[in-house]
Amino acid sequence: MHRYIAKRLLMLIPVLICVSFVIFFIMDLAPGDPALIIAGDQATDEMIEKVKEDYGFNDPLLVRYANYMKGLVKGDLGTSYVSKKDVWATYCQRFPATAKLSVAAIVVSLVLSLTLGVYSAVNQNTWKDNVSVVLALLGLSMPQFWLGLLLIIAFALNLGWFPSGGDTGTWKCLVLPAITIGTNNAALMTRTTRSSMLDVIRQDYLCTARAKGVSEKRVINHHALRNALIPIITIAGVQFAYILGGAVLVETVFAWPGVGRLIVDSINMRDIPMVTGCVVITTMIVCVVQLLVDILYAYVDPRIKAQYTK
Amino acid sequence: MTNNTATSGNLLVSKKYAKRSRVAEIWRNLKKNKGAIIGLIIMVFLVVIAFAAPLFLDYERDIISQNVPERLQSPSLQHLFGTDHVGRDIFARVIWGARYSLPIGVVAVIVAVILGVTMGTVAGYYGGMIENVLMRFGDIFASIPHILLAIVVVSALGQSTINLMIAVGVTSTPAFIRVARAAVLTVRNQEYIESARAVGMKDWQIILQHIIPNALSPIVVQVTLRVGSAIISASSLCFLGLGIPAPAPEWGAMLSEGRKYIRDYSYMTLFPGLAIMITVLALNMLGDGLRDAMDPKMKK
Repeated sequence: MHRYIAKRLLMLIPVLICVSFVIFFIMDLAPGDPALIIAGDQATDEMIEKVKEDYGFNDPLLVRYANYMKGLVKGDLGTSYVSKKDVWATYCQRFPATAKLSVAAIVVSLVLSLTLGVYSAVNQNTWKDNVSVVLALLGLSMPQFWLGLLLIIAFALNLGWFPSGGDTGTWKCLVLPAITIGTNNAALMTRTTRSSMLDVIRQDYLCTARAKGVSEKRVINHHALRNALIPIITIAGVQFAYILGGAVLVETVFAWPGVGRLIVDSINMRDIPMVTGCVVITTMIVCVVQLLVDILYAYVDPRIKAQYTK
Repeated sequence: MTNNTATSGNLLVSKKYAKRSRVAEIWRNLKKNKGAIIGLIIMVFLVVIAFAAPLFLDYERDIISQNVPERLQSPSLQHLFGTDHVGRDIFARVIWGARYSLPIGVVAVIVAVILGVTMGTVAGYYGGMIENVLMRFGDIFASIPHILLAIVVVSALGQSTINLMIAVGVTSTPAFIRVARAAVLTVRNQEYIESARAVGMKDWQIILQHIIPNALSPIVVQVTLRVGSAIISASSLCFLGLGIPAPAPEWGAMLSEGRKYIRDYSYMTLFPGLAIMITVLALNMLGDGLRDAMDPKMKK
C-alpha cells in the first residue's frame, strides 16, 4: 500500500512538468505583450524594453520555461504581473472560499444522488424510477450557470431567502451556489448510483441476507449500497476535485471570491504567471484527490485492499 | 432453449433476415425507445430551424440592429420572448442562436473525433511504448479541468467562432482517446485482423478498413453524448465573455447580457438557457437511446 502511494506520488512529477509546459506554451501564444501590462499604459519604449530585460521576456521560450521550473522546484510559482503579489500567497488567500463551496456542493450532490439513485434502482421500471431518471437527465442537460441564474431569480430576487452573491461568511451565502453545483453533479452521480445499484441488486447474497431475516432497509443500505459504492466514489472524487480546482462558472455567477474567479480575472488581464500557477496547482489537486479516492477504495472494498498488499 | 434455436434457425434461412443490415437493426431497436425518438424529432426540428432561419429572418435587420424605443418589453404576442436592452427581439435571436450552437457543438466534436480516434486507435493497435506515451498524454490533458483548459486555449488563440470550436474540441479529445482505444482493444485480436495481415495489408489499411468500422458503435454513442456537452462548454465560454464576440446571438452570450438585467427583466435570462437545455436534453435522450440500441447488453 505504501509503495503504491509512493509510486503514485512520484508519477505526479512528470504530470506536473507536462501540464506546466503545455500551459506555459499555450499562454505564450496569447496575443498582447506582458511587458506592456507590467510597465503600464504610460510607459515609454525604454521602460518597456527595461521590463523585458528584467523579466527575461527576450529569452527563448525554453529558457523562460527552465527558469520557471527552477522556481517551481523551490516552491516559487512566480509573481503576478498585475498585482505584483506572490502567486502562491494569492492562491492560498482565495482557496478557503473555494474549499468551503466544494465541500458544501459535494455534500448536496451525495445526498441528492444517493437518495434518488437508490430509490430509483429499488423501484426499477416503475413511475418512481422514471421520474428520477428524467430528473437526472434534466440536471445533466442544464447548463450550470443557467441553473444558478434561475435560483437567483427564484430564491434571491423573488423570495429574498438567500443573498444573490458574494461571501459574507454566513451559511446563507453558501446555499445557492452549493445547490447549483450540487444539483448539476448529482445528475451524473444519480445515473451512476442507479446503474451500479442495479448491478448488485439481483446478486445472490442479497437474497441470502433477506432469507436470514435482515430487514429490507438494511439489505439495501448495508449489503447492496456498500457493494455499489466503488463507481459512485470514483465519480464523486472526480467531481469534487474539479470543483476544488475552481468552479469557474458558478463562482462568476455568484460573485464568489474563490479560485475560479481568480483564474478568469487573471486570464482577462493576461496575468500569465497567475494563470499558469493556478492551473498547475489545480492539476495537482485533481491528481491528489484521485489518489485519495484510489486509497479510499481499499477501505470500502477489502478485496481491493488485498490486491494492494500482494 | 431448443425452441429458440429452432426459431432463429428458421429465421437465418429466411431472406428477410439475411438482408437486415446493422443500421436497420439499430434503427429497429431505436424506434422502440420513446425518449430517443422524441430526442431525434427535437434535433431534426432544431436543425431545420437553424437552416431555415435566413429564409424568414434577416441578420442585419432582425438580429443585430438596435431598436431602442422597443427596449426591455416583456413577452407578448408581438415579441414572443420579449425584447432585450437595445430592443432586439429575443425570439428571433434565440432562433438564430441555433446557427451558432449546433455547428459549434458538431465541429468541436469532429475535431475531438479526428484527434482522439487517431490517437486512441494507434495506441490500441500498436500497444507497447506508443500506447503508453499516447495514453499518458491523454491522461495529462484529462487531469486539467475541461473548462480551465478551454479558457486557456481560447484566450491564447483569440476570440472567434473557429477558435471556440478548437478549444472545446481539444478538451473533448481525451474521452475519445480512451473510448477508441478500448474499442480497438476488443477487436484487435480477432481472426479477421490476423487474416488481413496475412494477405499483406498495410497497417493503416487494416486500421481504416477493418479496425475502425468494427469499433465504431461506442464512438458513435460518445459522439452524440459529447455534442451536448460541447454545446454547454461553448456557451459557458461565451457566458464568460471568451467566446464569439458581440453582437452575435450566441445563447451563452445572451445569458451573460441578460444577467445584467436579472433583477427587473428576468425573462431575458430564461429563454436562451431554455434553448440550450432543450438542445442538450434532446441530444442526451438520443445518445442514451443509441447506446441501448447498439448494445442491448448495456440496457438496464
